[in-house]
Amino acid sequence: MHDLLPHISVQLNNVFDSIRFFMPEIYLGALFLIVLITDLIFGKTSTTLCRIVACAGIVVVMFKDLQQVALILDGPHLIFTNMLLLSRGGVFFKLIIDLLAFILLLYFTWDDKLSSHQKGLADLYTITIASIFGLHLMVMAVNLLSIYLAIEIVSIASYLMVAYRTENAFSTEAGLKYVLFGAASSAIMLYGISLLYGFSGSLDLFSAGFIDQLSKVNTISSSFAVILVLVGIGFKLSFVPIHFWVPDVYQGAPTPVTAYLSTVPKIGAFALLFNFLPPFLLLGKWTGFDLSIILAVASIVTMIAGNFAAVIQSNVKRMLAYSSIGHTGFALMSVLILNQQGLSALTYYLFVYALANIGALVLATYFSNVAGVDNMDGYKGLGLKYPVAGVCFTIILVSLTGLPVSAGFTGKLFVFSAVYNIYQQSHNIWLVLLMGTGALTTVVSLFYYIKIPLNLFLKRADISEITYKKDYNPLILAVVISFVLVLLGIFPNFVIKYL
Amino acid sequence: MNILTLLIFIPVLFGIIIMLLPSSLRNSFKYITLLATLIQLGISIWMYLNFKTGANFGGINHEDQFQFVQKLPWISLNLGSFGKMQIDYFVGIDGISITLLVMTSLVMVIATLATWEIKSNLKGFFLLFLLLDMAVVGVFCALDFFLFYMFYELMLLPLYFLIGMWGGARREYAAIKFFLYTLFGSVFMLLVMVGLYLSVTDPATGNHTFNIVQMMNPANYSGNSVFSIAAHQTILGMPARTVGFVVLFIAFAIKVPVVPLHTWLPDAHVEAPTPVSIILAGILLKIGGYGIIRICIGIFPDVATNHAFWIGLLGVISILYGAFNALAQKDLKRMIAYSSVSHMGFVLLGIASQTAEGVSGAVMQMVSHGFLSTMLFFLVGVLYNRVHDRGINHFRGLGNLMPKYTAFVMIAFFASLGLPGFSAFVAEAFTLAGTFKSHNVNGLLPYWMAICGTLGILLGAAYFLWTLQRMFFGQESLKGGDVWKTALVDLNLREKLTLAPLAIIALVLGIMPSLVFDKVNDSVLALIQFLQAK
Repeated sequence: MHDLLPHISVQLNNVFDSIRFFMPEIYLGALFLIVLITDLIFGKTSTTLCRIVACAGIVVVMFKDLQQVALILDGPHLIFTNMLLLSRGGVFFKLIIDLLAFILLLYFTWDDKLSSHQKGLADLYTITIASIFGLHLMVMAVNLLSIYLAIEIVSIASYLMVAYRTENAFSTEAGLKYVLFGAASSAIMLYGISLLYGFSGSLDLFSAGFIDQLSKVNTISSSFAVILVLVGIGFKLSFVPIHFWVPDVYQGAPTPVTAYLSTVPKIGAFALLFNFLPPFLLLGKWTGFDLSIILAVASIVTMIAGNFAAVIQSNVKRMLAYSSIGHTGFALMSVLILNQQGLSALTYYLFVYALANIGALVLATYFSNVAGVDNMDGYKGLGLKYPVAGVCFTIILVSLTGLPVSAGFTGKLFVFSAVYNIYQQSHNIWLVLLMGTGALTTVVSLFYYIKIPLNLFLKRADISEITYKKDYNPLILAVVISFVLVLLGIFPNFVIKYL
Repeated sequence: MNILTLLIFIPVLFGIIIMLLPSSLRNSFKYITLLATLIQLGISIWMYLNFKTGANFGGINHEDQFQFVQKLPWISLNLGSFGKMQIDYFVGIDGISITLLVMTSLVMVIATLATWEIKSNLKGFFLLFLLLDMAVVGVFCALDFFLFYMFYELMLLPLYFLIGMWGGARREYAAIKFFLYTLFGSVFMLLVMVGLYLSVTDPATGNHTFNIVQMMNPANYSGNSVFSIAAHQTILGMPARTVGFVVLFIAFAIKVPVVPLHTWLPDAHVEAPTPVSIILAGILLKIGGYGIIRICIGIFPDVATNHAFWIGLLGVISILYGAFNALAQKDLKRMIAYSSVSHMGFVLLGIASQTAEGVSGAVMQMVSHGFLSTMLFFLVGVLYNRVHDRGINHFRGLGNLMPKYTAFVMIAFFASLGLPGFSAFVAEAFTLAGTFKSHNVNGLLPYWMAICGTLGILLGAAYFLWTLQRMFFGQESLKGGDVWKTALVDLNLREKLTLAPLAIIALVLGIMPSLVFDKVNDSVLALIQFLQAK
């Protein structure tokens, strides 16, 4: 015991030093408690209040994120005894996550189906804040333990959100599926982590001994362990072959929750992957399978599977679910590069993808609210009835396809540039295949994305007696998002120069 | 304010006006659009008149020889250890663009006059129309590849909706087919574009640049880059520069269209409403030809020379295949669509010859075909508006019924089939002269290609004259009987005012081809010189 005493003070000092690098997360923790208590005190009527508190809180957290930019000017910091890494890329990921979370928090009550929930949405705000806390950890985690913790926080919050309102057997099934598959993948990941710990004697990814010890183990065993961990991360990212839960869950979950699931956890998981891979890919000591080839194959298969499966969908949310799988594959391309340019391309791509995807789902909510339609067939002729929403939907889908003039195009351009640059040095054949698949699937994606404008504008409406309602909030959000997407399409500098 | 920038963005300004006006003023939209296109025409004619010629204004690969230039920094991105990415708003024109710009502006006016037939969703129609106008003008002016690509892709969406919303019975199919075909070409073009900009550095700033003119200079390619001439890199085992050229060529060949990538064209042209058919045939096909000259040949001259035989062969196939198809058509609009394929084949043949005559002829053919196909599609539109039918064998003896209409049809047909005295004759003669000469001068194209081209002219005469005979001569006999007979009134004033300038231009350009050649010549010579020097 006495031997450890000097260590305790060192450890404590480290913890105290680390706190100043941990301010956004402390604020998030406090925000979580405040929203929770508000909910408890005011009971069922607290939805509006919780919403205001949550949104205001997120704005404060974003402010705290911005303050962190000053802290990392002298390079990245390892904090809490190498548990977390605060890097420049991480700060921007956190900012983007918080910005998107702010939009999502605003959006929850605008969905008529979700807000008609008898229990009110106050709990949902609490859960969301908790999950954002988890996402912050995910972005910074560099220790197998903190990685696991972060993923679990996000997962458990997501389980609750998906099953928050189950209107029919389908969405109940979706919620249950998600929990079961999620739990299984966590277990697999935990197994992988315990193997890695057993092999290397360390949980710290960046410690000197970790990769050295690992390279002394039988290559098949060590590769197996790493692949198990990748399964856990891949579940969050939803790349093939661990994507099968996505369509059902995205379709079954309430639309705002789908918007949440398809964006922020994905960004968190990509950030995590970006921190997890360097020891295996960059140090040159890794003796197992070449992870970049495994990921390249996963990326190609994901792009193909996601985009081709989306072609045959008729439900808007399900189509967007498959298309988001395709986007995962595309973004995975830029993870493989693991340099600064790849990171900024990835950040930008994910940001504009997430923005557009939220926009698309907001409009799905809008059309569901005003005309009660969820299938593309139901969209027939609605574009002429709701021209603003129709035009916004078209702009957003153009951005998702990646055509000029939209942010999606510039995102694709930056990713291609980053990959090409590495190709020019290494002449790695996989990179050509990746870019070729990326280009080809863009054409495929046009084919299904255009189906929505096709139904909105080109098809004539069947004569029906539906009474159309008016709904302004989602529309305003969609207009703002479309405007931002076009603006970033013309002047990507506004964002990319900071990344 | 740069005059060229003004020319590009005037449609957008008027588009904003239309967007802000309430729908109750919808009848004024067409006049607003007409005003926009007329202003555009005025500006382009002013530029034509003020366009300086001479060996110092050749353009092509000399950045300082372009005219009406505007260059503003637009996007710059730090790539870390890989230098900086530099995208400029860079517009400027040389002899090849100026003639096409004037042609485009005039065709736009005619297309606007054809919009009188559009009756539904006027606001949407004219907004998309003006957006398309901006994009096509922008394509001809852009000298930065990124900007070029932006404009190039920006054409797709308006066209998709213009065909899809206001088109004929199979409009959805035609629209998506057009969209997918073109996008397929351009997505891979994006990859080549990225590869090019990472290979090229601007000598002035040291940044990676999208500048098309800089891409033409082999010295600007960094030593080990993918598309460097010296490095002989390969992509998937094939020479990188050949891959780059082929990808770009396919993208533009889809637009031209070159057989066998032409199958979108008959569908799109037939299903599109008249104004859009006019823009498609009159302008969009030229973007393909312009892209091949400016970008494919300009950036990859070595590959273009090595593979000139194949380019010429594709041209010849297009000429003959298009002509034979046109012979077999029963729908007048489809017949004209295939005749476009045939006529655009001459453009490819002329470019492949890499002689001054051939390339001048190709540019002349683009300008001439721009006017003539506009006239032809407008004429089809006139007939279709009256009876909603365009089957060739559903009409007979129209000559007696609509004498003025028949007169214009005869002018358009004779001009298109290459009658001496009209613009197409000059264009085709020059193209074929260049092709014949090629064998002796640079040995790129064999004689038989020129002979096949001549055969194409003969076939052209066959399908035009045969159509004329079937539809306009002989005893009056209509499928729709007396109902059609009353509906088929002769041309009204608006239609005459639209057609007359086109007929006059076709004649004037035939008698005084120097109107085009004078402006084009310096650039063509610069291009040939550049191709020989490479």
